[in-house]
Amino acid sequence: MDAKLKETILNPIFKGNPITVLVLGICSSLAVTVTLKGALVMALSVIVVCGISSLILSLLRNTIPGRVRIIVQLVVVAMMVILVDQVLKSFEATYAIDKQLSVYIGLIITNCIVMGRIEAFALGNKPWPSFLDGVANGAGYGLILIIVAFFRELLGSGTLFGIDILNRFGYVPNNLVILPPFALILLGCIVWVQRSIQKDLQEK
Amino acid sequence: MNTNSNIYTLVYTTVIVVVVAALLAFVSQSLKSRQDANEKAETISQMLTAAQYGTKADLDKLSNTQKLEKYTEEIEKAFTIGLDGNVIRDLENLEVYGPKPLKRQNYNIKGGANKTGEPELPVFVFKNGRTVVPIYGAGLWGPIWGYISFETDNVTMGGAYFDHESETAGLGARIKDDPSFQAQFVGKTASFADANVVDLSKGGQIDAISGATMTSKGLDAAIDTWLAAYANYFSKEEE
Repeated sequence: MDAKLKETILNPIFKGNPITVLVLGICSSLAVTVTLKGALVMALSVIVVCGISSLILSLLRNTIPGRVRIIVQLVVVAMMVILVDQVLKSFEATYAIDKQLSVYIGLIITNCIVMGRIEAFALGNKPWPSFLDGVANGAGYGLILIIVAFFRELLGSGTLFGIDILNRFGYVPNNLVILPPFALILLGCIVWVQRSIQKDLQEK
Repeated sequence: MNTNSNIYTLVYTTVIVVVVAALLAFVSQSLKSRQDANEKAETISQMLTAAQYGTKADLDKLSNTQKLEKYTEEIEKAFTIGLDGNVIRDLENLEVYGPKPLKRQNYNIKGGANKTGEPELPVFVFKNGRTVVPIYGAGLWGPIWGYISFETDNVTMGGAYFDHESETAGLGARIKDDPSFQAQFVGKTASFADANVVDLSKGGQIDAISGATMTSKGLDAAIDTWLAAYANYFSKEEE
């Protein structure tokens, strides 16, 4: 694999993470991180939507009329979001999660990461790198989601994936952790950690 | 080719939209039976929750087949009634009333342009003596619906469960997510003679949800409208 492709994949995971560096997709990361299972399904959904819409739009990039560029992107992303929602609703294992995530699956379309990467990358690059870029950005988003959800479920419910971890040792679940503001505090801590490691992100 | 000409733009957008619409219609049709099965099991678990066969969280641990089995085991009789309280037909083959048929009946109760016929309202009598009836109405962002159970005296409520399509998470969504809100219905009496069958308001019989005024009002209206439609049935049962 050449260096540029590697950069395409690795950059969004850490150095150019869509949530902690680009500060996109904050809203849904506060909403769907109460349980690990929900965060995982949301992360996978965003990876699928981001990757495949980037791929489709990169394939179409030379044919799209400039004036309706955004509308064409919107149609493709909306299609992917509806497909993901329909598939989640169809399986017994994911139906309850889909109900729990309720509007947030549909709101993937408003996640700036998806349209942002299509506009910034997929429309100017070949299909394969665009697909990888979409998947990697979805994964970068998903990684933060899972880290936040890990702490919120562990401290807020004393469980992980619904399995009791802390409660058996007499832990009293902290209700503050369940509330969205705590997700913001956690995100702040993650940004703090990342900026201490990656000095070039620090503002003078 | 000039990709910026008007003709090209028009043809291009038309083709894209038609292709996407066809694909979505196809997927929706092919997954419909699976989705309906999931929805049916969900409706059944909501009714079992209202009839106090366990908490929603516990019932959700059951698989779809187990939910259907439990329902078959526990249902005494299920039938539909008209506004006069007389039985119209028995519900067979585990037919239940989820949000879609409830929406249709809601139009029939309220009348107006969308009315398709006389109301046909479902009643589910469980073996523990509780009678479950549905309610349906408008929340803030979309439809809300639910199931309320009545004890054998036909005025005391035994439990309730509500669901919604798109109420605000943390506020209106608490009609579904907050078991303590639903627990308020247990033991309260419905006054079928009143226009306000169940008083759901700030500090009322059922305390409304703060920060979710429109959802609370919508739920109050939904409960009043639907229970009023069942008034004849419940008063008949009493005699």
